[in-house]
Amino acid sequence: MAAIGVHFGYTCACVAVFKDGRADVVANDAGDRVTPAVVAYRDTEQIVGIAAKQGRIRNATNTVVKVKQILGRCYDDPDAQAHREESKCIVVNKSDLPRYEIDTGETTKYVSPEDVAKLIFHKMKETAQSALGSDVKDAVITVPFEFGEMQKNALRQAAESAGFDVLRLIHEPSAALLAYGIGQDSPLGKSHVLVYKLGGTSLSVTVLEVNSGMYRVLATQTDHRTGGESFTHELAQHLAAEFKKTFKLDVTGNPRAMLKLMNSADVAKHTLSTLGSANCFVDSLYDGMDFECNVSRARFELICSSLFNKSIQPIKGLLEQVNLSSSDINKVVLCGGSARIPKLQQMIRDLFPDVELLNSIPPDEVIPVGAAMQAGILVGKDSLALGEDSITVDCCASDITAKEVDDSGAEVFTVLFPSGTPLPARRQHTLQGPGSLSSVSLELYQAQRPIAQIVLRDLEPKDELHDIDTVLTMKRDGSLHVTCTEQSSGRSEAVTIQTAAAAS
Amino acid sequence: MLKEASDGQLTALFDAVAASEQVQVEPVGRWFEAFLKRRSRNVSASFQELEEEEELSEEEEDEELQLEEYPMLKTLDPKDWKNQDHYAVLGLARVRYKATQKQIKAAHKAMVLKHHPDKRKAAGEQIVEGDNDYFTCITKAMEMLSDPVKRRAFDSVDPTFDNMVPSKAEGKENFFEVFAPVFERNSRWSVKKHVPSLGSKDASFEEVDHFYSFWYNFDSWREFSYLDEEEKEKAECRDERRWIEKQNRASRAQRKKEEMNRIRTLVDTAYNCDPRIKKFKEEEKARKESEKKAKAEARKREQEEKERVRQEEEKAARMLKEKEEELARQAAQQAKKEKEVQKKAIKKERQKLRTTCKTHSYFTDNEADGVRMMEEVEKLCDRLELSSLQTLNEALASGNKEQSKAALEKQVQEVNNQMQKEKEAEMQAQQAVRGAEQTSAGGGGGANNRGWNEEDLQLLIKAVNLFPAGTNARWEVIASYMNQHSSSGVKRTAKDVINKAKTLQKLDPHQKDEINRKAFEKFKKEHSVVPQTVDNAAPSERFDAVGAESNSSPWTTEEQKLLEQALKTFPVNTPERWEKISEAVPGRSKKDCMKRYKELVEMIKAKKAAQEQVAAKNKK
Repeated sequence: MAAIGVHFGYTCACVAVFKDGRADVVANDAGDRVTPAVVAYRDTEQIVGIAAKQGRIRNATNTVVKVKQILGRCYDDPDAQAHREESKCIVVNKSDLPRYEIDTGETTKYVSPEDVAKLIFHKMKETAQSALGSDVKDAVITVPFEFGEMQKNALRQAAESAGFDVLRLIHEPSAALLAYGIGQDSPLGKSHVLVYKLGGTSLSVTVLEVNSGMYRVLATQTDHRTGGESFTHELAQHLAAEFKKTFKLDVTGNPRAMLKLMNSADVAKHTLSTLGSANCFVDSLYDGMDFECNVSRARFELICSSLFNKSIQPIKGLLEQVNLSSSDINKVVLCGGSARIPKLQQMIRDLFPDVELLNSIPPDEVIPVGAAMQAGILVGKDSLALGEDSITVDCCASDITAKEVDDSGAEVFTVLFPSGTPLPARRQHTLQGPGSLSSVSLELYQAQRPIAQIVLRDLEPKDELHDIDTVLTMKRDGSLHVTCTEQSSGRSEAVTIQTAAAAS
Repeated sequence: MLKEASDGQLTALFDAVAASEQVQVEPVGRWFEAFLKRRSRNVSASFQELEEEEELSEEEEDEELQLEEYPMLKTLDPKDWKNQDHYAVLGLARVRYKATQKQIKAAHKAMVLKHHPDKRKAAGEQIVEGDNDYFTCITKAMEMLSDPVKRRAFDSVDPTFDNMVPSKAEGKENFFEVFAPVFERNSRWSVKKHVPSLGSKDASFEEVDHFYSFWYNFDSWREFSYLDEEEKEKAECRDERRWIEKQNRASRAQRKKEEMNRIRTLVDTAYNCDPRIKKFKEEEKARKESEKKAKAEARKREQEEKERVRQEEEKAARMLKEKEEELARQAAQQAKKEKEVQKKAIKKERQKLRTTCKTHSYFTDNEADGVRMMEEVEKLCDRLELSSLQTLNEALASGNKEQSKAALEKQVQEVNNQMQKEKEAEMQAQQAVRGAEQTSAGGGGGANNRGWNEEDLQLLIKAVNLFPAGTNARWEVIASYMNQHSSSGVKRTAKDVINKAKTLQKLDPHQKDEINRKAFEKFKKEHSVVPQTVDNAAPSERFDAVGAESNSSPWTTEEQKLLEQALKTFPVNTPERWEKISEAVPGRSKKDCMKRYKELVEMIKAKKAAQEQVAAKNKK
């Protein structure tokens, strides 16, 4: 059974299909794997995608971009107001809800953001259907972590009205983790993952804890001012300066010329991610004059150096916030189209020198692929309704450690049962004791407090080490049962440690 | 590396562990789903561990597996492989359909090691050449059992399977002992895993219901392709293959149907014999009964309640009524008393007045005046109210004779005036009633409010006189006469006419006179107007007109009688008949008589015509 994952971003939308155990992004009718989330209204038709984006130069007032910013918000919402000021398409207030004012020849239409989103979802559905050759309904849709209930509902409604059967809404960072299958192979162990997403208009950095195959967001930070467009804008400003230098003409005041320059800068930016230099060429930019300019990657990096710094900034703050050092992060996942920029990757790599940087999947496809994988997991099962309580999980409050001595004789603590493990759970370890001993003791600690000790006596001294199987089982309330068994003799000891609440 | 335990150290607890804390996780990934499922099923142990344990136990069984040698193995005919027991051949006779693929493989391996022709040759045994060696049977068995489809086909017709369905009589006695193994046996054909067991005697209704609904919707994988009589592979051409296929399909369907019937019979029998079902049915019945009873009781109670309420209401109403009556009676008594008192007072006052008047000898010296005065005083006594009588008496008592007389006379005058007024009022009222009667009679006479004007009334009176009582269909005749002669053009029916005539009869005679007088006045008016115009407009009018004018008064009855008499005495052939007749009728000229005669003739003619018409109508 096929299912799809849809990433509906601020600037772009992308759809991936899960089929035969694989998730793949599908290209749209224009051959692009990513569709710009732009809707242009013409007299008789609505255009979604690249055609709408290109037509924006001529039809700016009837072209809706970045609809996600306003989706599910009230008119008075500061974000909606910011969007209204920025948008070329007029936004009006209709009974406290924002509406786009679309001028279609004779009449003026008022279009809700949900309708715009619906058109984009519809396009995504068509794309997936053309790739699968059959109707597909089941979909998982990603939302940013900071989305509120209203926005989620609006998005869900838009998707449902486009004909989707929304299996679940998942957060973008966890979709990114799922795309790389982090923690999916074995449900044991605990790790920290940083998701770095630099999209078209927003930057978001998230730290997640992966424990027993479950993801948990520790902290997240979003900056709506920094994004791929900021780089393009910076580059376009540079190009305008170049133009002024050559022709002594200022084009910054001419919106159409600036749009043309932006488009050109966009192309150049993409080129610079793979090539050392890019050529910008704009026909008849201003007053019939053509513009041509060569930008090297070094030049680009110089122009945008402050932006790069700004993009990296949140990572450090976030790590401080969750009390982790850069070495505690086990993996970094890059997503969002702008995470392709080599300079940025380099800077992140510098920040996390020993960490694996995951960028094998094209960064702008990571999230839809993850969503499609989730759809693949969910499809065909009668999924339970996800309530607030179903995503809260009982967890082990703090690490259960065992005191051991290392080769040099110093005391070390080994984590036997990590904190944050979803309960109930069982962890098995094989501890070792010197074979010369006839007795061993296992001291268990939690948060630097001794909680129990287990003593095994009458062991037969031997040349090899004593292998002691230790099984820790923790119930949902947090009470712990520990069994130690010496492998060769089968001698065992067991204790049950109650929680403070139960003991009192 | 663990430390050595010091001497006194023992296994001990020092502190409680921290309680678990709740965190939010992202709803993604397979482990989350597994977790959710586990939690919804309320399984406490880790899902994954359970799976591992299952695997472990399977492996253990593998090790324990003991192959039993099939004693008949060496005598098997490879050609008759279809009838061999493949499990027995591989030494899995006991495990049978429960054998895992692993076990089958292991068993086959063991058999091959033991029975391969090469091995046996090495041991110095005689080997039958080619495919006829019994080892072929082992290969065939493996072939059948290793392929899941073929194995299923063989399992379906497992020769050791007991298809028996217990009879009702057997099941009735000890249901659970008889049916439990049967269902256990048949549950192997279920496509679904976790077949519900028959359960015990005290199973809940849900369990039993689930059990039977499962078995009534039993989805079996049993199929009978193994019993195919023809082998498709043997066919020589496509058509033959098709034919074989068709045959096989038919026989398979037949067998499948039989199998379904068998299961159905089994479940039906069990259902009918199940003591629990019986119990549940009885319980249900009892419950329904009790519900019904409760309902009936509730209804009854309700009715009683209603009845009680109604009675109470009635009682209250009755009490109220009684009270009211009592009050009314008391009031009446009071009123009566008061009336009596008043009467007495009046009597007293009257007496007083009389005596005063008497003492004053009616304020007059004259005897006649005295009598008149006495009458007047009597009248006063009758008419005057108590209060006015009292004032009068007071006035009489207080004043001297003259004043008293004046007051009395004044009172008398007032009373007389009042009486006069009353009389007039009564007259008026009478008039009004009469008028109302008239209009109502007129309204009742005709559906479309046909009024009776004076002319009509006159005509009616005439007609009534003309056709006296006893005339055939008198009223119809009158009505048609009226219709013919009326100038108002209103059509009247016999009923209208009767009504009007009756009202006229009821009216006092002076009204009749009035009508007649009015009619006469009108007649006079008409006739007085016409001559005037004649005077003014036509001076050359014939002289005879003067005579006509003198006789414009209508014929009286006497004149009429005289005329009729004259007409009879002077027959038609009498010379100068009309002169003679006119002489016989005093006050009437020759012309008048002729005119009258003509009128009479016409009248008679009309009368006849009307009678005929009515007769014709009656005939119809």
